[in-house]
Amino acid sequence: MEDNTLNHQNGAQIGPQTVSVTNNKQNEETNPKAQYSIPGILHFIQHEWARFELERSQWEVDRAELQARIAFLQGERKGQENLKNDLVRRIKMLEYALKQERGKFHKLKYGTELQQGDMKPPIIDESSETQMDIDQSYVAVSNSTWKQGRQLLRQYLQEIGYTDRIIDVRSTRVRALLGLNNNTEPEENHNGSSVNGNESNKRASETQGRRTPAKKPQPSSLAEAMMLDTEAAVMANLDFLSNADVDMEDDDDMSDDVDIEPSDDLDDDVKVVKRKGKLDSLGDDVDAEAMEVLNELNLLSESGERQEFKNEHSEWKKGFQSGVPKRPLGLNDDDNIDSALGLGELAQLTVNNDAETTYDIASSKEAFRKTWNAKYTLRSHFDGVRALVFHPNEPVLITASEDHTLKLWNLQKTVPAKKSASLDVEPLYTFRSHTGPVLCLAISGTGEHCYSGGLDGVINCWNIPNSNIDPYDLFEPDVLNTTLQGHSDAVWGLSFLNSKQHLLSCSADGTVKIWAPHNKVQLLNTFTSEADGIPSSVDFVRDEPNRIVAAFASSHCLVFDTETAKPIMRLESSQESVNLNNKQINRIVCHPTLPLTITAHEDRHVRFWDNHTGKMVHSMVAHLDAVTSLAVDPNGLYLLSGSHDCSIRLWHLDNKTCVQEITAHRKKFHESILDVTFHPTRPYIASAGADGLAKVFV
Amino acid sequence: MSKMKMADGSTVVRRNRPGTKAKDFCRWPDEPFEEMDSTLAVQQYIQQLIRHNPANIDLILKMPESQDEGVWKYEHLRQFCMELNGLAVRLQGECHPETCTQMTATEQWIFLCAAHKTPKECPAIDYTRHTLDGAACLLNSNKYFPSRVSIKESSVAKLGSVCRRVYRIFSHAYFHHRSIFDEFENETCLCKRFTQFVTKYNLMSKDNLIVPILEDENTPGESEA
Repeated sequence: MEDNTLNHQNGAQIGPQTVSVTNNKQNEETNPKAQYSIPGILHFIQHEWARFELERSQWEVDRAELQARIAFLQGERKGQENLKNDLVRRIKMLEYALKQERGKFHKLKYGTELQQGDMKPPIIDESSETQMDIDQSYVAVSNSTWKQGRQLLRQYLQEIGYTDRIIDVRSTRVRALLGLNNNTEPEENHNGSSVNGNESNKRASETQGRRTPAKKPQPSSLAEAMMLDTEAAVMANLDFLSNADVDMEDDDDMSDDVDIEPSDDLDDDVKVVKRKGKLDSLGDDVDAEAMEVLNELNLLSESGERQEFKNEHSEWKKGFQSGVPKRPLGLNDDDNIDSALGLGELAQLTVNNDAETTYDIASSKEAFRKTWNAKYTLRSHFDGVRALVFHPNEPVLITASEDHTLKLWNLQKTVPAKKSASLDVEPLYTFRSHTGPVLCLAISGTGEHCYSGGLDGVINCWNIPNSNIDPYDLFEPDVLNTTLQGHSDAVWGLSFLNSKQHLLSCSADGTVKIWAPHNKVQLLNTFTSEADGIPSSVDFVRDEPNRIVAAFASSHCLVFDTETAKPIMRLESSQESVNLNNKQINRIVCHPTLPLTITAHEDRHVRFWDNHTGKMVHSMVAHLDAVTSLAVDPNGLYLLSGSHDCSIRLWHLDNKTCVQEITAHRKKFHESILDVTFHPTRPYIASAGADGLAKVFV
Repeated sequence: MSKMKMADGSTVVRRNRPGTKAKDFCRWPDEPFEEMDSTLAVQQYIQQLIRHNPANIDLILKMPESQDEGVWKYEHLRQFCMELNGLAVRLQGECHPETCTQMTATEQWIFLCAAHKTPKECPAIDYTRHTLDGAACLLNSNKYFPSRVSIKESSVAKLGSVCRRVYRIFSHAYFHHRSIFDEFENETCLCKRFTQFVTKYNLMSKDNLIVPILEDENTPGESEA
């Protein structure tokens, strides 16, 4: 006892002792720490804290990952649920279709009624069939399936981010399920070995010219009314299809009356698509999306039409952004899969891929470059427009014509026109002074002065009026700044060098002259080449100072040094002397940055020359007729060429490939396009035609 | 310069290439009207005839069979407006707003310029320029003359008003800048051709034709605004 107590006491003592011991220990523990000193303690604590923080952040990351994974799995699960629903629906539809066809065969024996011949999308047909089935059996169920369908639609809307993936997944799964190959031939699809294909065949043949007898028997008057309403709504939506497939009528017949649900779904499709379209893209795409919807629908009908339709559709795709078509396509897919069951779905799947692939092609085409489209038409000249230049900064251009006048145009002052294809522009100012056709133009870098040369051998220097003047203002004689006389024959080429304010001209009198128009002594120098004949075009060499290049009737070009007036380099085009006229150079331009000279020839070629070596670097047949004009874009990447074959071509200078061809202008005698040009700072290109018009493309 | 490939045969390329001399401009063999297949055939034909001989007015104004009369008149009017530019250029040098403050011919009438929202009393040179510019806009407008091969009935009436206004340029030049007028007329016979043209197709009333261009048409009538 005592021992116990003693023990106890001892224990108690030990307790405190142990406590104290522990205290001591703790002290010892702390003491050792204390031995390490306070900074050591702090360090340790900090270390531990950092570790905790690290762990916490790691937990956060893990949690985020897990959450994402959960979301993804949830999505997948939803997708699979939907898939399951679809499959269940399909089964129901197949069952119904079977019943339907049996019924039809039966009814055919008793004759059929004629249905109104509106175009109804087959999708309605499909769903109507189910609808009919449901109507026949359970009215209540129909409502529920309708609501279900709508709910699914809404869900899909919500799952926008997952839509594409799910569709792909589902479509591949479905296809795998049905053992269907990914054909682009809907016919093959129809003729495929799948049960659905056969069914579609049967159905198509069955309904050739026949009205589905299932038109009105079961539906209540209410349903009828609703159908008619939806029919009207669908018709309104799909009006523009009315000129399409004749064969669609077969399926339309098939489709009984437009039932509410399917057509509503369709409406939803269209509306949904349209809504999405507005959200995601420009208004243009809305039409395309609607077209896509209808495209999907049309797939249910004859295959041939489908192909054409798709082709039209893919042609439509020219202006569209790449990302957009995919999305609504996916949506359509969803919706269509929902509402159109069975074979319809399959057919749509294949066509979806078709459409997608075509979209991809179209979009990839557009990925590199912009397509130029005609925007403005400048009508006012009485005779062919020989030359045109853009103002350096403003959307203003000046045209020179064989009717002896130059005209100033402001692209922002368009005439309200009925036809919306391209806007008409009226001129702001007419420059009158030449007594013969005006053949060439040049503009100063500041846009203050422009220079014109004509058949009368005179070069006029004009002060360009403000681009906001009233066209019918008072005449001011000082618009004509100065006249450069010196040439004795027609002036065919002009070029201006901004850095020195020099003007270069070439004339049919055989000389090339360089002028400083605003100096006292205007004519600086004259260049000729006896052997080569008459110069047809000139340009300054832009990457080096004091050089000019002139193209001669002998089809050779000479590079002159402007200070010595001696030729430095000869750009020889290798050919026989026979038919020299054929190889005449119509235009020569120098690249703004590279030592490259480009010439346009009468023999349809465009040739590239190296300024340093004088050798021809490249030669290509550019057009079907003589190439009349060239223009290099301000960045030096593209080349525009115009030709008497009524076409303008845009070339990429790296690989010398044609990236776009535009047909414009009509022929007068044998001349068509006489000049092309780029705007120095804005995305405009313009062409001048012998028909008296100038066109601007954006 | 026309390009005749004699070696090849009969292909004639009617083009004015860069480097063509002024005297060789548009110097190519004539093309018969029937063989012209461009939409601008009528313009081509008229210009071809004028180049041949500007004084042979009867031939120039003679309309080929199977040609729509409205288009014929339209294209001629375009050609007149284009050629009148030459007269305007000459007048620009001499007809100043200080000397000819209004557009008049004989003392009776003052012509108001219709190119503005409300008709305005422009000085003669401005009237000339505005009328020519306005005619260019009208004759080229897509609204009234959308096509070069057929003319709307409603637009044919516009031709008459353009003729009337354009004629005043002739009359002003005749009465106030006689030397310029004579020089220009010797070169181009434009006024005579114009007068014959409007008479032939009844585009203007005879009373307005005050320039005594033909010996037998010496009507000193008053001109109207």
